[in-house]
This record gives sequence, structure tokens and C-alpha cells, in this order.
Amino acid sequence: MGKIVAVHSYKGGTGKTLLSTNLAVTLAKHGKKVCLMDLDFRAPGLSTLLNIDKVEYWLNDYLNGVCEINKVLIDLSARIGSQCMFFAGLANPSIEAIRDMSSKDRKWEMRALGRLLSLRNSLLDGKNFDYVIFDTSPGLQYSSINAIVSADLVIVATTLDNSDMEGTRRMLRDLYDLFEKKTEIVLNKVMYEDALMSGRDRLQAFVKETYQVPLLGVIPCFCDISRAEGKTIFVHEKPQHPFTRILEDMANKIDKL
Amino acid sequence: MPEREVLGGKPLQILEKIKESLERLNEKMEIMIELQKHGKRELEAITPEAPLDVMTLLSMPDHLRKTAMTICRLGRATADEVAQQTHRARAVESAYLNQLVVMGYLKKERKGRKAYFYINKEGQG
Repeated sequence: MGKIVAVHSYKGGTGKTLLSTNLAVTLAKHGKKVCLMDLDFRAPGLSTLLNIDKVEYWLNDYLNGVCEINKVLIDLSARIGSQCMFFAGLANPSIEAIRDMSSKDRKWEMRALGRLLSLRNSLLDGKNFDYVIFDTSPGLQYSSINAIVSADLVIVATTLDNSDMEGTRRMLRDLYDLFEKKTEIVLNKVMYEDALMSGRDRLQAFVKETYQVPLLGVIPCFCDISRAEGKTIFVHEKPQHPFTRILEDMANKIDKL
Repeated sequence: MPEREVLGGKPLQILEKIKESLERLNEKMEIMIELQKHGKRELEAITPEAPLDVMTLLSMPDHLRKTAMTICRLGRATADEVAQQTHRARAVESAYLNQLVVMGYLKKERKGRKAYFYINKEGQG
């Protein structure tokens, strides 16, 4: 049975899209059948990152009940290797679509939750996906909480920024605990020495103490990632890079959870 | 079934009828207790249809949230099926499910001896 994994954070800019995209591709390269979904309807980014210009149906249409999920999925397997099975579902980045999604009422959100929950049947059971990965909007938004509730595992991306940490701590306590979600933390943008060398054990203890949640991985600041300007799938372009190794470790850990 | 042979068809049927009636009575009493606890007017305000969205789930007391989330996941289920997921007693889940029906979040439908609970059709539309 496959898993639904939601990648979430309290603040924006913590690396959710970087993490979800590269994690999805890493899992696909490990031979898993993976679908990456952009549930960040406020600020969609995957269509640009994956460089897809022709889209017939968006995830917006699926949640609106306009079409079924198979119309939304785009097969990107060929992009990352002939043996891989990698699909994506995209959020519509047009201003009208963003406005439409932000004006939905509670009844619509409830139906959207039902449709996200039914992906378990249609994708995990019906199409044998091993992983469906949700990239979400930061903070406590309807669409993100829907994604969290539907997921088997939630990965929270956070930094050592003080306001991000405090917000993440509160969010874990007041939101995640209530839904009894299996949660893992990824600490991003950490100084290189702290992440990979001397400070590693100290960081591990610190995260456990602060969040009461296990640490899935630590990603140091890599200038190469800034330099890539979010135009490539990093783990695919740079298989030997330390970042790719870190993502591989994370993928292996997730597989064992 | 061997018991049926020993008892003959009729007595067993009668026993089942009695059990069924007792179960219904039990549910009715649970609803009445609920109504008394919260005051009829307050409950009527949110019935018959209240959307069971995530924000509503968040604001629910812990014991009801667990039951409501299980129904969200299963779509449509009996108290027995919910109890299997939550590892709580069937009677407990039955009480919580009926409470959620009274609050307007769930609907209930009887099929033979079994009662199925599901999220408001109107909302699922």
C-alpha cells in the first residue's frame, strides 16, 4: 500500500517546493511510482519549475469536480529516466484561478477534503502509486490543512529563524497533535558546519527538545541551489552533489517508516 | 448455522428483533441525552446540515474529532467499522456517531440490521 506525504511549513520560503520536488524525483529514481501534486493554490509554482506550458486540466478542476484525477496527471517519466515513473498534478497559476480558489466556502472545502481523501482509492489502490506527494501553502490555510488531514505522513520544513521556529512549534502543538499525524521535521538552510560536521548531534537533540518530533534530515545552505535559480530539478541535474545524497537518505528513511 | 437448527428459525428471529429494537431504543435515548445536555434550541440551530470541514474538525472536542475523522476517511461506515479503526468500544462509537448526527455533521441510514453513518450528501454533492 502506498503513502500520501504532505510537505508543509509555517512560514513561506522554507524550501517546501525544493524539498517536495526533489524528494519526489529521488523516490522515482529509486524505482517508486510517484505523483507530485501542487496544492499551493495561492502561489502555484510547479508548472514553472517543471517547465510545462500546455495543461488541459488542473488540480483546481479535479477539486471543483469538473474532471477525474487521471485527466490531471501529467506523465513526466521520460524527463528523469526511462525506468522511472514520475507524474505531476499542477495548480493553475492564473490570477483568476487563484482568486477563485481563495473565495471558496466551507462546504466547498469539505468536498475538496473528500476528493483529496479519495485519491487514496484512485491513485494508491487503483493505479498502484507508491507515493503521492503534496506540496502545500505555508501556514494555516484551508487547502493545506485539507492536505495534512489526507496525508499519512507530514514533513514540516523549517529553518533556524526564530519566528519560523516559534510558529512551527505552535503549529505542531495546536494543529498536528489534534489530528494525530505522523510528522517529521526537515531543518533547512543550516550552516554547513552545523549540518554535516561538528554540530550534528547537537542539532538532533535541539530539534527533539524543541518540537518533540523526529528529525528526518538537515539541509545546509548550498550556494549551488541558489545558483540554480529554481530552474532545474537539482537531484536529477547533479547526482553527485551532497544535496542529492541528503535527499537519498531522506527517501530511504521515508521508505522505512 | 447450527444454533438456528437447535433453536429452530423462529425463536432466533424473535431474539434478533428484540436486539434490534433495543439498539434503536438505545440510540434514541442517546439522542435524547444529547438534546438535554445541549438544549434543544442550540442544537436545532446547526442541524440539519452543517459542513464537516477541517476547521470544524479542529474545533471539535478530541473524542468526537477522532470519530468524525474516521468517517471522513472511510466515507461510509457502521459503528463497528469505526470502532475497529479507533480501537474504542462499539457502544462508545455508536454514541459519538449519533451525537454527530444530532449536531448535523453526519447522516444515518438503516439497512436491515445495520446503521450506516456518512457525511451529509448535500455537502458531498
